[in-house]
Amino acid sequence: MNGIRTKHKWTPYVWLLPSIVLIAVFVVFPILIVFRLSFSEISKAGVVGGFVGLDNYKEAVNLPAFKTVMINTLWWVLSVVGISTVLGFIIAMALNQKFRGRKIARSVLVLPWATSLVIQASVWNYIIKYEYGSLNNVLLNTGVITQAVNWRSSFQIEFIWECTVGIFVTIPFVTFCVLAGLQSIDNELYEAAIVDGAGFWQKLRLITLPLVKPALTVSTVLNIIYVFNSFPIIYTMTKGAPANKTDTMITYLYMLSFYDRRKGPATALSVIGFLILCVCAGLYMRFVMRGEESA
Amino acid sequence: MTETARQNRLALILTGIAVVLMLLLCTMPLYFFDATVYTKRSANTFVGDEKYAEALAEVEAVAEDFRAQGMEAEIKETVTERTTSKGEKTSLVVFTLEQTISKNLFSFLGASFSSAHILRILLALILIGAVTALAGTLKSFGAMQRDVPERDRRLRTVMPYAALIATLLVPAFVMANNVVFSRRLSLYNGGQLTEGKEEFFASLGRFLLGTEENAEAALSGLSFTKSGLVWLLAPCCIIVLIAGLMLRYGQIKHTLLKMLLILFVVAVCIITLYPYYVMLITAFRTNQETTDMYFLHMLPTEWKWQNLTDIIRRGVPRYLLNSVMVAGGATAISMLCGIPAAYAMARMDFKGKKAFLGFVIMSQMFSPVVLLIGIAQLMSTLHLNDSVVGLMLINAAFNQAFAIWLLRGTFVAISPEMEQAAMIDGCGTMGALTKVLLPVSAPGIVTALIFVFINAWNEYTISTVLISTASNRPITVGITQFSSFNMIEWQYLFAASLLATVPVVILFMAIEKHLTAGLTSGGVKG
Amino acid sequence: MKKIVSMLLTGAMVLSLAACGGNAGSTASTAAAEATTAAAEASTAAAEASTAAAEASTAEAPAGEEITLDVIICQYGPNTNEWFLGSGMNGTNFVDKFESENPGIKLNLEVVSWNDVYTVVDTRIANNNAPDILNIDVFANYATEGLLMPVSDYCPDELFNDFFPSFIEQSVIDGTVWAVPDLASARAMFYNVDMFDEVGIEVPTTWPELEDACQAIIDFYGGDVYPWGIDMTTDEGQAAFAYYTWGNGGGFVDADGNWAVNSDENVEAIEFALSLINNGYTNPNPATQTRYDLQDMFAAGKMAMLIAPNQLPTYVADKGGEINMATANIPAAEGKTSSSVGVMDRVMAFKDDSAPDQAARNEAIGKFLEFFYDPENYVGWVSMEGFLPAVNSAVEALVASDPSFEAWLDVLGGCQFYPTAMAEWDQVKQGVINAEQAALESGDIQSELDALQDALTQ
Repeated sequence: MNGIRTKHKWTPYVWLLPSIVLIAVFVVFPILIVFRLSFSEISKAGVVGGFVGLDNYKEAVNLPAFKTVMINTLWWVLSVVGISTVLGFIIAMALNQKFRGRKIARSVLVLPWATSLVIQASVWNYIIKYEYGSLNNVLLNTGVITQAVNWRSSFQIEFIWECTVGIFVTIPFVTFCVLAGLQSIDNELYEAAIVDGAGFWQKLRLITLPLVKPALTVSTVLNIIYVFNSFPIIYTMTKGAPANKTDTMITYLYMLSFYDRRKGPATALSVIGFLILCVCAGLYMRFVMRGEESA
Repeated sequence: MTETARQNRLALILTGIAVVLMLLLCTMPLYFFDATVYTKRSANTFVGDEKYAEALAEVEAVAEDFRAQGMEAEIKETVTERTTSKGEKTSLVVFTLEQTISKNLFSFLGASFSSAHILRILLALILIGAVTALAGTLKSFGAMQRDVPERDRRLRTVMPYAALIATLLVPAFVMANNVVFSRRLSLYNGGQLTEGKEEFFASLGRFLLGTEENAEAALSGLSFTKSGLVWLLAPCCIIVLIAGLMLRYGQIKHTLLKMLLILFVVAVCIITLYPYYVMLITAFRTNQETTDMYFLHMLPTEWKWQNLTDIIRRGVPRYLLNSVMVAGGATAISMLCGIPAAYAMARMDFKGKKAFLGFVIMSQMFSPVVLLIGIAQLMSTLHLNDSVVGLMLINAAFNQAFAIWLLRGTFVAISPEMEQAAMIDGCGTMGALTKVLLPVSAPGIVTALIFVFINAWNEYTISTVLISTASNRPITVGITQFSSFNMIEWQYLFAASLLATVPVVILFMAIEKHLTAGLTSGGVKG
Repeated sequence: MKKIVSMLLTGAMVLSLAACGGNAGSTASTAAAEATTAAAEASTAAAEASTAAAEASTAEAPAGEEITLDVIICQYGPNTNEWFLGSGMNGTNFVDKFESENPGIKLNLEVVSWNDVYTVVDTRIANNNAPDILNIDVFANYATEGLLMPVSDYCPDELFNDFFPSFIEQSVIDGTVWAVPDLASARAMFYNVDMFDEVGIEVPTTWPELEDACQAIIDFYGGDVYPWGIDMTTDEGQAAFAYYTWGNGGGFVDADGNWAVNSDENVEAIEFALSLINNGYTNPNPATQTRYDLQDMFAAGKMAMLIAPNQLPTYVADKGGEINMATANIPAAEGKTSSSVGVMDRVMAFKDDSAPDQAARNEAIGKFLEFFYDPENYVGWVSMEGFLPAVNSAVEALVASDPSFEAWLDVLGGCQFYPTAMAEWDQVKQGVINAEQAALESGDIQSELDALQDALTQ
C-alpha cells in the first residue's frame, strides 16, 4: 500500500469519525429501532407494545401474498437491472463514438436520472392512460395506429410497464458508469487488435468487456440495492393493484403497514429484505476487496 | 474493366431494378376502400312496423340520390333483437349503404391530401437520385474514387441522401394514409374537428368518387384495408441507398454503420425526451384539455402561461428553495464527512478497514421508506423533525456510502507522491489533502456531489413524514397539493415538475464533462 | 479554465449553503452529540429517552400561556391548501384568522394529501407525537386503543347539539362519542340524459334493467360509449363493494352488527358487478381506473352512467363538459330496496398526557371547533369543494346559495354509511378491495371473501 504514514495509530480513526457518527446516528439508529420493532407488538394505529418473539416473522412468511410478492420482486430486480445494464452498455458504446452532436446527446440521456421518480412515474402513468393518455394521442395523430390501444389491459402488462419505467430511469446511471470505463481504455489497444485482424465482436469480447467489467460490476451491485429498494414507481402507477399482483416487497410492506395497518409483519418483512440484500452485500464486498488486492 | 467500373455498373443496375420495381408496385391496387355511404340507426324498431318503414324510406331516398349520380349503392340491414329482463322484446335496426373502391399508388399522385404529397416527394426523390447518379457517373465511370471530378462527386452525393429520406418516407406515407382515411375522418364525423372540413372532404371526394358533390355524406362511414405489399417500397429505397453509397464512397459498410449509429442515437434521444414533451405540453394546457378524450391536439390549442403564475402563487418557489437548501446542505455535509473518510480509506493503513467498508455498505441496505418509524423517532429525539436541517442530515447520511465509495476510488487512482512531497515540505496531512489532493481530484468530487445532490433532490417519503409546516416542504412533497380528493390538476402537477427538473438539469449540463471524467477514476478502480 | 470556474462555483455553493444553515448547523452538532450518547445506550432505553425528551420539551412551556395545537387536515380539493394556509379565505386564511380571533392559541396546521395521511399520522403515533386535532375518515382504531379523547371533554354543548344526530351516531363506540363529522358527500347514480333519449331507454332501477340498458347502449353506439362505470381501485374499491352489496340486502355487517363480508347476498352482488365487467358493459380497467378517470369519461360523453358523489356536476363543468345529466337511485337487485351511500369524514382530538394544563388545552380545542363550524367560515369551506354540511346551522345558508343542496340533503338523510365505528374497519376496507381485485382475475369472489371473513373472526 503506497499510502502516507500517520503519527499516531489512532489518526485514521479520527478521519473516519465524522462519517461514522453521521451513519451511526442517522442510519444505524433507525435500523436498530426497526429491528426492535420487528420483535415487538405494534398496534394498528402504531402504538408499540411488548416483546413477541418471532410472531411477526411467522405472520409475515404466512401472508397469502408473500410468495407472489417475492416472485415479483425477483422479476423486478432481474429485469430492471439486467435490461438496463444491457441497454445502458449499448448506448454507452454508441455515445463513445465520435459524431456531431455527441455532447447534446449525452446531456439528453442524463435527463431521466435528474427527474424525481415520483414525477417520472406520474408522467408515465399519464402517458399510458387508455382514455386520454399521450401515447395514444401521439400514435393516433401520426397514424401509427388507427384505434386507441388499451396500454394497461392486464396486470401482467401493468407490471411490464412498471419495469419499463424502472429501466428507463436506471439506464443513465449504467450508461455513464460504462462510458467512464470506455473512455479510460487506451486506443492503442484497439489499433493493435485491428492490426491482428480482430473483428468487432472479438474486440468487444477481448478488450472492451474485460476493461469495462469493474465499472459494470459496481454499477450492477449498486443498482441491485437501489432497484430492490425502489418504491415510487410501483406505488404511483398501480399501488400493487390488482390484489398485490404488481407489488414488490418494498411497496407491499408499505401497503401492509399503512393501508392494511399490519405493522408487525410489515416490519418483519423489511428485516427479511435486509437479510436478502446482505447476501448481495457479501458479493459486493468480495468484488471490492478483489479489486483492492490487484490495485 | 476495373474493379471500380464493375462496382459502378452493379450500382447502376441495382438502381434501375429498384426504380422499375417501384413503378410496378405503383400500378398494383394496394388500397381498398369500403365506403359506408350512409348509416341510419333506429332504436326500438321492429321489422315491418311504422318506425321501420319510416327509416327504410329515408334510406331508400338517400340511395336513390346516389344512384341518380351514377354510383352503386347497396342497402344493408342488420337487426339486433333482444329480450329484456322483463320479457319485453327490443329491437335495433341499422341500415347501411355501401360501396367498394380500390386504388393503386399512381392514382394517389393526383390527389391533394397529405399522404399524396408524401408519395410524390418519395417518388421524386428516387427519380432525381437515379438521374443525378447516372449523370454523375457517365463521364467518370471507371475513375477511382479519389480521381472522380468534383462536379461528379457532388452529383453522386445526391442519391444516397435522397434515398435515405425516401426510405424514411415510406412509413410516413403509410402513417399519413392512416391519418387521412381513418383518424381525421372519424374526428370530422364525430364533430370534434371542424377546421378544414370542406376542403378535406372535397379532396377525398375527388380522389375516391371523382366528384366533390355529396362527398361528405358519401364518405362518412369510410373504412379501408391496405395490402402489405406497400411496404415493399422500403426495401426498394434501401437498395437505391446502398447503390448510392457504392457510387459515392466506393464502400458501404462504414457509412451505413455511421448512419445506423446516428439513427440509433436519435431514436434513443426521442424516447428519452418524450416524457418531457408530455410534461411541457400538459403544463401549459387548460384543465379541460389535460383529459382530452379524443386525442385532438399534439400541442396545447392555447398556451396557458397563467399556469405558471398559478403555481408560483401556490407556493412552488418556496418549495424549490427548500429543495435547493436540503439538497445543497445534504451535499455539503456528505462531502465534509465523506472526504476525510475516503482519504483515510485511500491513503492510510489501519485495522478494521474492511469492517468500515462493510458498515458503510450495510447502511445502504435499508430503504428510507422502511425506516420511516425509526427515523421519525430519532428526529423527534433530536428535535429535528419539521426542519430543513433534519432533512439535510438524513439525506447526507443515506448517501454517505456512495460518496465514500466514489471519492475513495478517485483518491486511490491519484498517485500519493505529490502529497508525500508536500508533507516533506512541511504541510500537515490536512494541508496535503486540501492543497494538493483536492484540486487534482476535482472531477471525482464533482461527480460525488452531483450524485448526492440528485438523490437528495428527489427524496420524497421521509420529507412527507418529517415535515409538517407547509413552508418547510421540499418540492417533491409540495406538488402533492395538486392531486387532491376531488381532482388531479395535471397541468399544475407537470408545470411544477418541470420547474423542479430545470435546476438539476442546468447543474448537470454544466458539470457533465467532469462527471464522466470522475467516474473513470472512481469506477474502474472500484 | 472552465474547470477552475466550476470548482469555484461549487465551492461558493457549498459555502453559501453552509451559511444558510449556519446557526442550525450548530444545533445539529450538539444534537448529534446527544444522539451518539443515546445510541450508545440500548435501543429500548433510547426510545424511552425520546419520549422523556418529548415530554420534557412540552412541559417547559409555562401553564396559562400560549397553547399550540398540532392540526392535520386532509387535502379535499384544489382549494384546501389555499383556504387553510394561503389566501383562499377572502384574502386571508384559516390559520391567520383563527389566531387573530383567539389570542393565546397558535395553530401548527398541516394539509396532507389523502395518499400520505395514514403514513404521516401512524408514524407520529408510533413516536408518541400524535397531532392534537386530526381530520380523517377513520377513527375506531384510535378510539379503541385509547388514543382519543371523548368529544364531551372538549366540544361545547351548543356546537355538539348542532350536528346532525344521525351523523354523530356513526362515531359512537360503547356509548361514547369519539369524533365529530366535518363534512359528508352523498353518492347517487348519474346518467347522461341525451344518450338515454337517443337510445330510447328508461332509467334502470333494478339490476336486470341495468343490464338491459347497458346492452342497449352497447348495441346502439357499437362500443364507443361505456354504459357503466366501476371503480375497484385501491383508492376507493370499498365504495363499489358497498354500492352492490347494499343494493342486494347484504353489506359489511349482519343485522347483529357482526362482520359478515362473505354472506350469500354479498357474493351474489359482487358476482353481478363482475358480470357487468365481463360482459363489456364497463370501463375496461376497473382495478386501476380511479374515480377521476370515470368522471373524466362521463364529462367527455364516453360514459352513460356511473355512481358518483354530489360534486360531479361541478367537476364536469370544470372539465368543460356540456353533459345534460340527471341523478337517480343506485339500481338494486330485484325486490331489494336501493340505498344511498354516504361518505363522511371526521374531526377528532388526541390525548396528550404531557400537556401541562388539560383544561386549557380542551378549551382551545373547543375554540378551534367553534371557529371551524362557525357558519361564517364553515359554509364557505363546505361549498368551496362542493361537500355537504354536517351541522344544522350551515344548512340555511347553503340552500340559499345553491338550491340543489336541498335535494342532496334529503338524499343524505337516507344514506347508509361504512361501519367505520368498528375497530377492524381498516382491515375490512383493504380486504374487500383486495378480494374484488383478486376476483377480477380469478372470477372466484366466494373464496376471497371467505378468507377475509375467516381472518376477521379468528
